[in-house]
Amino acid sequence: MDDLLTDFIAETRETLEALAGEIVAWEANPEDRARLDAIFRFVHTVKGSCGFLDLPRLQRLSHSAEDALAEVRSGARTPDAALVSAVLAIIDRIGELADALEANETLAEGEDEFLIAALARDAGSNIPVAEAAPIAKINVLPATPPTRAVSRSIRLPVELLDRMMAGVSDMVLARNELARLLRVAGTTSAVDVAFERLSLCVGEMRDSITRTRMSRIEGLFSALPRMVRDLSADLGKSVKLEVDGGDVELDREMIEMIRDPLTHIVRNALDHGIEKPEERCRAGKPEIGRLRIGARQSANQILIEVSDDGRGIDAERVVRKAITAGLVTAEQAAAMNWSGKLDLIFEPGLSTADSVTGVSGRGVGMDVVRANIERIGGTVDIESMPGQGLRLSLRVPLTLTIIPALTVSAGGTHFAIPRSAIDELVRPKGDQVRIERIGGEQVAFIRGVRLPVVDLGRFMGLTEDVLPALLVVLRAGGGERYALGVEAVHDHEELVVKPAAPALMASGVYAGTTLPDNSRPMLLLDVAGIAAVASIGLAQSVVEERPVERRKAEAALPTLLFRDLDGVTRGVRLALVERIEDVPTESVVESSGMQMLPLQGRLTKLYRAAALPATERLRVLRLSDGEAALAYAIEQVIDVVELRAELAPAPVAGPIAGVVLHDGAPIELLDPYWLFTSAILAPANDDSPLCLVADADDPWAREVLAPLLGAAGYRVRFAGEPTEGRISVIVTTGSAPHGVDAPVVRLRGTPDGAGDDSIYRYDRDGLLRALSQHVAGGK
Amino acid sequence: MALYLIARIADETIALPATEIGSVVEVDQIAAVPRVPPHVAGLFALRSRVLTVIDTRASLELGAIDRTGEKTAVIVECESHSYALLVDEVEDVIEAGQPDSCPALLPASWRRAARGTIRRDEQAILLIDPATLVAGPEPLAA
Repeated sequence: MDDLLTDFIAETRETLEALAGEIVAWEANPEDRARLDAIFRFVHTVKGSCGFLDLPRLQRLSHSAEDALAEVRSGARTPDAALVSAVLAIIDRIGELADALEANETLAEGEDEFLIAALARDAGSNIPVAEAAPIAKINVLPATPPTRAVSRSIRLPVELLDRMMAGVSDMVLARNELARLLRVAGTTSAVDVAFERLSLCVGEMRDSITRTRMSRIEGLFSALPRMVRDLSADLGKSVKLEVDGGDVELDREMIEMIRDPLTHIVRNALDHGIEKPEERCRAGKPEIGRLRIGARQSANQILIEVSDDGRGIDAERVVRKAITAGLVTAEQAAAMNWSGKLDLIFEPGLSTADSVTGVSGRGVGMDVVRANIERIGGTVDIESMPGQGLRLSLRVPLTLTIIPALTVSAGGTHFAIPRSAIDELVRPKGDQVRIERIGGEQVAFIRGVRLPVVDLGRFMGLTEDVLPALLVVLRAGGGERYALGVEAVHDHEELVVKPAAPALMASGVYAGTTLPDNSRPMLLLDVAGIAAVASIGLAQSVVEERPVERRKAEAALPTLLFRDLDGVTRGVRLALVERIEDVPTESVVESSGMQMLPLQGRLTKLYRAAALPATERLRVLRLSDGEAALAYAIEQVIDVVELRAELAPAPVAGPIAGVVLHDGAPIELLDPYWLFTSAILAPANDDSPLCLVADADDPWAREVLAPLLGAAGYRVRFAGEPTEGRISVIVTTGSAPHGVDAPVVRLRGTPDGAGDDSIYRYDRDGLLRALSQHVAGGK
Repeated sequence: MALYLIARIADETIALPATEIGSVVEVDQIAAVPRVPPHVAGLFALRSRVLTVIDTRASLELGAIDRTGEKTAVIVECESHSYALLVDEVEDVIEAGQPDSCPALLPASWRRAARGTIRRDEQAILLIDPATLVAGPEPLAA
């Protein structure tokens, strides 16, 4: 018998036991709403579980009981003795079937029909109450009590596990203490061997007890593929399920609490979210719907996301339903924003489904989902893009989870950092990784990437403002990264994290406490929290201390202004400029469509905004990101000024990052990132020399020659096309077009010289050299 | 009649309700915690439990206890977290009747923490609410 079925039976039996009292109370007072709800929820849960365990009998029974109870709940039907008896008979039947399942027996099916028929509205009038009642009795006391198989799984109260966990932790600490004492006392090898054995046993015991509390979320996810397969087949839909993050470890109790909500969400996604294949085709989506389920640890929470690419939820429709159901008034609804309206689906008694199916859509579900998640201190968020999909994010606390962590220290205090948040560990050294002070704040340059630095020692008030020895690059969430400066890195450890006291959590920088084997309590850092607190602290210090000057220093960066080759005044951040050099113009080498410059014995790529001037010497800026170098040809240097850090970004990626104002005049700032990545091939712009290709009808010219010229930085036009500006050079494989005054480069089809100045058409270097000579000569 | 633990904080004899106290322990090696309110002295490991150590003097805004060396602490549970309340010393456990109301003229620092007074022989002793010690000084109104 698989685990799921065992779980289902254990759970059903347990709920039945708990429900026994409720049932009797409901029988005594059928108007009791709370009891009714409890029973309703039970049959609903059974129905849900049966759906994916493929237990059609149980499903039919629970579905019909749910139908009848739903009518009572909505007020369409008043509970009479007959209905109560019939429902009770079904609940008993569910219990019997569960027992039979466990014992691997089958019960006669005929009785089911009878039980379901008893639920019918008119059944009560036909069957006198006195006769209906014995139905329940018969089932309460079956003629032969079913023999229960000996179960191999037991359920334990979590408190007991907690006590075991605390006990074994104490034992580990005692062992460590004993080990210390034995080392001091100096013992015989016999004692050492015995201690080793004890030590090993304690370690193993701790591992297994830890495992009783923790389990991988995989256990929760493993049921999903089957459920999705079966459900989508039932619904006539094709769905591809992607599951991710099954190795995240979570408290077993948490997993149990998440199981039902997750099942509900997945059912909803399949039933209401993802459309039928025909509908998807009409909407221009792939026929196969996609359902993604992923888990990951985010700061001190576990985030479980379920997203589909179905039709989403239309918040306006939710509102209309809510108004119809009397949950909100039209005035209240009018004052709500989109997400407020969307949140209405978490209200009890609201369903967006127009019809009730066996799968979902009875208006219980989302409210139960939220209630269950909130009970364990979690939250549920919903994001809907109508027509495109829906994403539900469940966040549950990390408490009592074991997480792999890195231990670091600053100012003599140890802290733990969740390993999942760590990008890399670097030591500031040389040009590759360095820390600079900009406006009094530390900034790290790691292989050309600038990151804000939070020095842990100074942040925690433990040390003076010194440059840290090591940087831990952290992901703060939302793509944001920063470098945490620490003194030393000690250990990778698996730590049991427990919630810290409210006074500690209020600081916003801790995610919990942990007790490593050395029995010195340690705090787990909240990586995202530190980022938030650090930037707030920064803003405050600006306000408190000499606001005007500080702000200026904070926001302005030294920038080199220069006149570019095309006459425009541009700026580049001084930090990038390694030096300004004058080089002989003839030393510029054309190579494979690029212009290179020998600088310090190395060929460096040369970027130019326009054609190179026909002067003897060329002035270039040598730009460096710490690793790669780039030469940027300019006309002359103007000044070094402080320019504000914020800029109006350029709408398209290019050599210009954006525009900043300097003395009222806009200055274009170079985008070093673009220069270092894309500018290598110096793509054509409007200032590039115009190259006319005479052979407009020749496919070779269009498909081979034109891209080559474009990559080398020429604008390409074909004969007969309108041209703007002066044509710098004409390329032809035949005759030059008439009436165009420009130098002509002729190409020939064979490698052997034809005795004229033509160039073999695959002699790329020769062609580019010839072109650049003509262009330079024409200026 | 109920049991009370009699201790001294800031040269004042006080009583704590024994029902709310787990144990009395000696605390050394408090691990300091940066960026927390001054009444949070740090963390202390009592076997495998991590306790948050509270400087009761700081909670009452009566200065701070010297946190070095071995200290006496009263262990209390508060909202499912365990705290070690540092006290100057623990004197006694006594039985006393229902607490009376607080004296009218009580210094502000004590007024918030006091639940009433109990009598030991002829001496009136302030009954302190451990939860207010844990919560610390009230934040100043903005």
